[in-house]
Amino acid sequence: MIPSDGHGLLSKTEKKEAPLASPNELAEFLAGVERRAYKQALFAVRDSENALDIVQDSMLKLAEKYGNKPVAELPMLFQRILQNTIRDFYRRQRVRSLWVTLFSSLSAGREDEDSDPLETLDAAAGSPSAAGPADQLAQSQVIEIIEKELQRLPARQRQAFLLRYWEELDVAETAAVMGCSEGSVKTHCSRAAHALAAALRAKGIEL
Amino acid sequence: MNEQQTAYRIKQLLNRGLDLDAGKLARLKTARERALARQRIEAPVFVLALADNVLGRLGGASSLIPRMLLPMAVLILGLIAVNQWQESQVAAEIEEIDAAVLTGDLPLDAYLDKGFDAWLKRSSH
Repeated sequence: MIPSDGHGLLSKTEKKEAPLASPNELAEFLAGVERRAYKQALFAVRDSENALDIVQDSMLKLAEKYGNKPVAELPMLFQRILQNTIRDFYRRQRVRSLWVTLFSSLSAGREDEDSDPLETLDAAAGSPSAAGPADQLAQSQVIEIIEKELQRLPARQRQAFLLRYWEELDVAETAAVMGCSEGSVKTHCSRAAHALAAALRAKGIEL
Repeated sequence: MNEQQTAYRIKQLLNRGLDLDAGKLARLKTARERALARQRIEAPVFVLALADNVLGRLGGASSLIPRMLLPMAVLILGLIAVNQWQESQVAAEIEEIDAAVLTGDLPLDAYLDKGFDAWLKRSSH
């Protein structure tokens, strides 16, 4: 948001601070968002390689199509692209699984892909710091449980919760990215937060 | 703990869980670099930005108006003055000729006579 000078007018330098994204600014934006984007994709598709591919596709699409947009618009545009890329992945998976059902010879590969999602999370989440005190370990375990619970949420609830609270989009922006009403976003977020809190409480974890 | 507090605490923990292994970080870096290599930058936008930059250096479009207005007004007034002076010069010349013709001894019909004109030309040589 561009700050005002208190007189309702913007100074010349402030007006100039809503410029189009330069390569450096785009690089900075991507570097800041890439790990969260990877995790979002991972929660959705439950496969590290596919999640990395999704992030790469999203970055390419953003740079190719919207590389000339103002910096302030990049977060929402990127989230929209990321969510669409995840949706495209689901569609492709559905088509692929249809063929797999028809040709059972490929079933071995599919079984592997549908394996326990927690296995793919081990490397991503379980990385306690070098100091390795007990509370660090405990915290990494809590993080792992939260990530697992996020994966278990219905897709729309997870999407709304992560966009709203992790990516810090406002309700209107989240609704625009998800293609639904603001009321739906609020409902999804509320349900997601309650479901997560309840699941953690059931495991004896107090936030 | 309400929804906002729960969400804030979960966000904090999710951010702490963003440490990825070197392989994934390298993949993400490569993806970022590929994307940057394809960043779309439109030429017209650049030209407009350049024009805006030049205007900005001159103090913006609003400060450009008084700066250009005064010299333009002086130039236009000068051109009008030169034009008026030229017209008055031409009028004075015509006036002089008319006065000479009317006050001369020669009758006015003599100037319409072709023979007189030819004689005038011959005699001037």
